[in-house]
Amino acid sequence: MDIDDILASVDRDANIQTPESAILDHQLLTRFWVAERAVSELLPWPASLMDRMMERVRRQIEAIEDLAASSADPTPTTNTNNTTLNLKLSILQTDLARTQYLTRSLLRQRLAKLTKHSMHYLLLISPNHNSQPTQSSQSSQTQQQQPEDSVPTPDDMSNTSPLSPQETSFIHAHQTLLARHYGSSFLGAFPPQLRRLDDNAGGTSMVQGPEGKEAVFVRCLVDEVGVVVPPGDGVEEEMVGTGMRMGDVWVVRWEGVKGAWERGEVEVL
Amino acid sequence: MAFPFPRGITPPEIAFLAEMEQVTIVPRQRLEGLKLLGGPVEPLLPPRRATLPLWLALLLKRQRRANIVPPSWLHPEALSLILEIETQHSDYQNAFSPPPPLPGQPSVRDRETQQTPVAVPRYTQDGERYYASPPFLPQNVARDYIPPGEPPSLPYHWLEVGNMLLDAASDDLVDPDQTRRLLKELREVRMAKFRAGTDVLDAAAIGGGGVALTGVGAMEIGEGRGFVTGVVDGLRKIGASKEQARREQMAEDMANGGYGATQDDDDEMEF
Repeated sequence: MDIDDILASVDRDANIQTPESAILDHQLLTRFWVAERAVSELLPWPASLMDRMMERVRRQIEAIEDLAASSADPTPTTNTNNTTLNLKLSILQTDLARTQYLTRSLLRQRLAKLTKHSMHYLLLISPNHNSQPTQSSQSSQTQQQQPEDSVPTPDDMSNTSPLSPQETSFIHAHQTLLARHYGSSFLGAFPPQLRRLDDNAGGTSMVQGPEGKEAVFVRCLVDEVGVVVPPGDGVEEEMVGTGMRMGDVWVVRWEGVKGAWERGEVEVL
Repeated sequence: MAFPFPRGITPPEIAFLAEMEQVTIVPRQRLEGLKLLGGPVEPLLPPRRATLPLWLALLLKRQRRANIVPPSWLHPEALSLILEIETQHSDYQNAFSPPPPLPGQPSVRDRETQQTPVAVPRYTQDGERYYASPPFLPQNVARDYIPPGEPPSLPYHWLEVGNMLLDAASDDLVDPDQTRRLLKELREVRMAKFRAGTDVLDAAAIGGGGVALTGVGAMEIGEGRGFVTGVVDGLRKIGASKEQARREQMAEDMANGGYGATQDDDDEMEF
């Protein structure tokens, strides 16, 4: 550990302690949870926010344990003192349970999205993956081709956005198991060249991703935000459609406001 | 599976979110300040008023440790005024009554004088901009002074907060029966508007288009979400080939150097 790490940890410690940061992080986590629940695709993992929240939860559990231990203390305390202590404990535990619920719901929603489109996300985080075996190796390998060979391995663990590192290892293990299971139950009976899970024969990829055009409810938080039409279908540039004013609630396509959401100019409802 | 719920927060989750709204209470007993994960709670010193999250206020209320001061909009007078705006006002025949302004946004009354809204961001620890919004705005706290002429408005979580207060703290409200009746009427009027808006939903099915629902409540979104997103996505799939053809035509026009304002001229629709 070098001096910068120590300084950074002191800094982080000081920041995590202030009441303002606790309020703000709580609001950010809540907003992120609502957005993650409403949007079809996986949102970028907010690593530093989650680290701070987990650290706070850990400290809060310690504080509650200390308080509970002091209430179990057999030293003579007056009755009124004990009831306020119990009240304090129940408030703290309710608060903790609420935050834990938020985190758990968020993580489970992310896992559900990941498992639904597992191949899509694996391909997304392994840019170097060769989707089709090269010609030279094909002849020698086709006979042993197994479904799990088509599962891409995330090679660069430092950049796994939008997944967290834990989600990356989960999804890789999950997909490998699934491919092996497919292989032993039915794909093994197929001709080797039909065993891949990322086949794009005929120009149609069998890997399906989330639909970015699905409608979401958003609230505009700044003076004005335009709903954009991202490039595609031969039109190269981005175009701006309807404008939303501050405080407005709209039903729009997710891809039209994704950029504004990333800049924090709209919130998903 | 990992998570069985549909996309978008479900009504119980919306109620959970509404419980984060701040309300005003009059404590009946002392309690020292607490450090909660959602931020610190001020010490309770009767009879000084305190502002707490709704879930904590309800917890204290159920144990008879505090009384809740109802928010200014949850009053028969204010509610009948809002109901009048919803039903009689010609500007809001097909729209919801205006929501309370966000911080930096002029109130509805001053909007005609062309004051431009100024959203002031706060910065997160990661250096990103953050604009506060419900349930983290003081829309449900009791106010001692309301500027004259400011029309009452329904906050984003009106239905949930109203119902929870009627359930747990009806003895703290002014005329709870009348309040309950007015809330029910408001709900019916607004749901009728929501359903009537189905006609214009195809505007949201076009790229770059959308449908405005300004003033809608959280629970109303929760109720209509499945239907609205279903209709919009269905219309989008039906119109997909047409939209693609239009885009290709546009690309061709642009390649020829002549792209006029042929698109998005009438997308702005309100209901």
